[in-house]
Amino acid sequence: MTEVSLRSLVKRYGKTEALKGISLHVRHGEFVSLLGPSGCGKSTTLKCIAGFEEVSGGQILFDERDISRKLPEDRDIGMVFQSYALFPHMTVAQNLAFGLEMRRVPKVEIAERIARAMDMVQLSAHAERYPKALSGGQQQRVALARALVIEPAILLLDEPLANLDAKLRDEMRGFIRDLQKRVGITTLYVTHDQGEAMTMSDRVVVMFDGQIAQAASPEEIYDHPTSERVARFVGNANILDLAVSPRGDGQLDLVLPGGHLLRVERPACGAGGGMRVMARPEQIALTEPAAGQIGGRVAKRYFSGRHVEYHVETDVGPVVVVAPTTHAVREGEAVGLRFDPQRLWPVPSAEAPAEGRE
Amino acid sequence: MKRLRATFLILPAATLIFLFVVLPYVTVLVMSFRAPADGQPYGEGFSLAGYAQFFNEGYYAWSLPQSLVLGILTTFVCLILGYPVALHIAKASKRWRGLLYGIVLSPLLIGIVIRSYGWTILLGNSGVINSTLRQFGLIERPLPLMYNNFGVVLALAHVFLPFMVLPLLSALQSMDPALGQAARSLGAKPFTIFRRITFPVSMPGVQTGCILVFVLAISSYVTPALVGGMRVKTTTLLVIDALIDQFQWPFGSAMALILAVSAGLIVLIFARLTAMKWN
Ligand SMILES: Nc1ncnc2c1ncn2[C@@H]1O[C@H](COP(=O)(O)OP(=O)(O)OP(=O)(O)O)[C@@H](O)[C@H]1O
Ligand SMILES: [Mg+2]
Repeated sequence: MTEVSLRSLVKRYGKTEALKGISLHVRHGEFVSLLGPSGCGKSTTLKCIAGFEEVSGGQILFDERDISRKLPEDRDIGMVFQSYALFPHMTVAQNLAFGLEMRRVPKVEIAERIARAMDMVQLSAHAERYPKALSGGQQQRVALARALVIEPAILLLDEPLANLDAKLRDEMRGFIRDLQKRVGITTLYVTHDQGEAMTMSDRVVVMFDGQIAQAASPEEIYDHPTSERVARFVGNANILDLAVSPRGDGQLDLVLPGGHLLRVERPACGAGGGMRVMARPEQIALTEPAAGQIGGRVAKRYFSGRHVEYHVETDVGPVVVVAPTTHAVREGEAVGLRFDPQRLWPVPSAEAPAEGRE
Repeated sequence: MKRLRATFLILPAATLIFLFVVLPYVTVLVMSFRAPADGQPYGEGFSLAGYAQFFNEGYYAWSLPQSLVLGILTTFVCLILGYPVALHIAKASKRWRGLLYGIVLSPLLIGIVIRSYGWTILLGNSGVINSTLRQFGLIERPLPLMYNNFGVVLALAHVFLPFMVLPLLSALQSMDPALGQAARSLGAKPFTIFRRITFPVSMPGVQTGCILVFVLAISSYVTPALVGGMRVKTTTLLVIDALIDQFQWPFGSAMALILAVSAGLIVLIFARLTAMKWN
């Protein structure tokens, strides 16, 4: 069991600053995802922790010990790569044994431990196969077992599911998460797939441009993003321009075009500058025109089997609503929209100078 | 229909192989069994005289191990010199890679006769190296740098190095760079990574490079002739001698075939020994 702390981590490649001061604390046995668009520095963060890249500034601590000057082979990490990086000239069993041989574990114990590890990832039948003779999902499981069999202090995964097809990816999500819980290992998981980050993690760290924009539980990130950019990156978000007026009691009044007044909780962050309001598509109800807080007209309707997505033209701009398939509203029909004040969430607008929490 | 089209597509290649590989080999094979004759290339009827002469006369028979040893030594020297070069180029940045590539290929840009002659200027008894050393009083008699295996292997390795480096390079470049990182994260030190991961994974390149250099070295003529000064008697030298100077086509053909079959056997054994189950 190990805690990982990053303290103002900076990484420069020549003039480009890939990481601009990353601070993060990962608790014992916690599963933390690094989520962000391509090039935001997720892999760089992981490489710095693994020791493949030298940090330009800041500290990396495992259980309060600064390890940022240690060589990768002395850091006691297990790593899973996007390409799996299985040794092609070794069988599954030999791949698993490699890390144990490096640690000079006695032969008998190696045999026991790789047997247990192969059992854990359900690959005992393929012990003598070469990686080329395995499917993508099986190779992935070997990579996972190889990283875990050495019982490392922490587990690092860099987009491990990116090369799998959608169905297998869903399966592997659950598999990795279950395994991680059973082993109880502190885990950092890099992905640009927000669904993956949300379903697997204890905590999601959203990164943009080499900085952490928000680090919180999946629910918190989804319901209470601290910036418009986070709101848009994680799931679908309607960002509405409404007249916002603060009240004395820590709440905000929102005035809708029809004159309706909504009273919402005022978020702790960035209350100063301009505010806009986030409404998730499934948190908006579709009603008869007269019953809505605002009115609109359905411009597009997309049926997906599980639900229907409506694109509604309103006085506050286009609004996306996701409704159960029991609704039968056609394109061109007039509708009303109702917001749940409990679920509306004001966010600092993108133009506001201070984005996110520092 | 599909079958027919496929047949048409391989037709040009098949024709070429027949004309330039199968036909000459068959001709040489038949020629090697013809009876020897005086005053003309070959006589009436068939005989084993060519083969018998080769194995009975030590002068000829010893040329075979000489050729094979030369080939093996050259291959070995190319591998030892070429591997670090290939490793280095594979790791170099794009800008350097082009330049290094050019340097590796440069021996091929100079004609073989000129290059061999260049080596004689360097290595000869009154060549650059020996005369310099003598001038400084470091030696009294010239060092034997030429007219022996040392000089010939050196000159051969110089020419054939690119044929070793290029397959090695392609094997190393197609290797996933994450392999090394994975090995490190599992606790391996750099040298262990080379020994247990990099080298074995580059084995297909090692195999190709070694076979290419060996076959080329064993069939080389100009370099052993010039740098060896006819004192390093390879089978190839004797083949040319028999065919052109002595005008004994059956004997020359027999020697050529013996060399080809021996080299083929060695390649086969090498390929067996280095076979990769995983590939
Ligand atoms: N070796 C390098 N040399 C120079 N710049 C680099 C290097 N590695 C990464 N960068 C730069 O650092 C930034 C962060 O890269 P990083 O690989 O961490 O992104 P990422 O978040 O993992 O993206 P992706 O989802 O595409 O993998 C990018 O702008 C990238 O161009
Ligand atoms: Mg990446």
